[in-house]
Amino acid sequence: MSSYRTHMQIIGDILLTTRDDTPDEQGASITYLIRKANISHGRISKILNNLVAQGLLEQTNSTGACKYKISNVGREFLHAYNTFNKFADGYGLTI
Amino acid sequence: MELFLENILNLVGFVVGLIIGTISYIGFRNTGSPTLFRLTLAFFSIGVGFFIMWAGQTLDIFVYKTGHVERWVQTLGIAVQTVGYFFIAFSHTIKSFFPKSNYLRSIGMVPLFLISFISIENIIRSISFILLAYGAIETILSYFASRRKTAILVAGGLWALAIGEFLGWYYFVFPQSILNVVSISTKIAGLIMLFIPVTKVPLTKIKFDENI
Repeated sequence: MSSYRTHMQIIGDILLTTRDDTPDEQGASITYLIRKANISHGRISKILNNLVAQGLLEQTNSTGACKYKISNVGREFLHAYNTFNKFADGYGLTI
Repeated sequence: MELFLENILNLVGFVVGLIIGTISYIGFRNTGSPTLFRLTLAFFSIGVGFFIMWAGQTLDIFVYKTGHVERWVQTLGIAVQTVGYFFIAFSHTIKSFFPKSNYLRSIGMVPLFLISFISIENIIRSISFILLAYGAIETILSYFASRRKTAILVAGGLWALAIGEFLGWYYFVFPQSILNVVSISTKIAGLIMLFIPVTKVPLTKIKFDENI
């Protein structure tokens, strides 16, 4: 039985997609992120706005459509997230 | 001699708890994860609990020289450690610990009245044992989900802490035995096993929060 992802895991999945799996240099569109991160439009919009406000993602306007790229702060956060995710996993926990 | 040995073991417990708590706190500051915040509270509480017992023993060895630690100091130290064990169990969603049936809940309250005549320390130790056993079982279940080997070691560490609490509780039956030293040694072995996931954290690659 698969378990629900935590809010932190969803953020981790979004940042990972914008770092490693963007279709072009402009970044990833919302539709692309919805498909890759497997999350609804209503929920991802709030999360993306939050991540942009905190400087983890950069928003670019390409041909009228919003696209998202990971920022340097976002890369550092993702690195810390991966490190401490393994740490918590060692205790049988998820962050 | 026994007091001196206990003193060293309590100091080791304090240092181990402090280090794991600090790593968890760095993780919390860098990610904002509530799980890491609970781990921070858990290990700082465990470390502070050992520190209280160490401080009480050190004062007795070098200042009061009575040869035994005040009972309230021992009880306070164990109580603070129990808070730490609670947060470890709470991280595994403690809600599944309590029965949903009202009948079972009312029956479950009976032992509380039966043991209320025994000292507070006994009650605290029994609560610690239950919390640790719960945490160990949940960690083993997590291992079956993730297959991460460190989870087995952590579960072993939690079991060692639980056995340590049980032996410490049993020490009241045989107060002149070495059970207390065995209890603290087992707890320290358990804490060292809990320390293993910390050794897997590549500290040199973490960008530490500037405010820490």
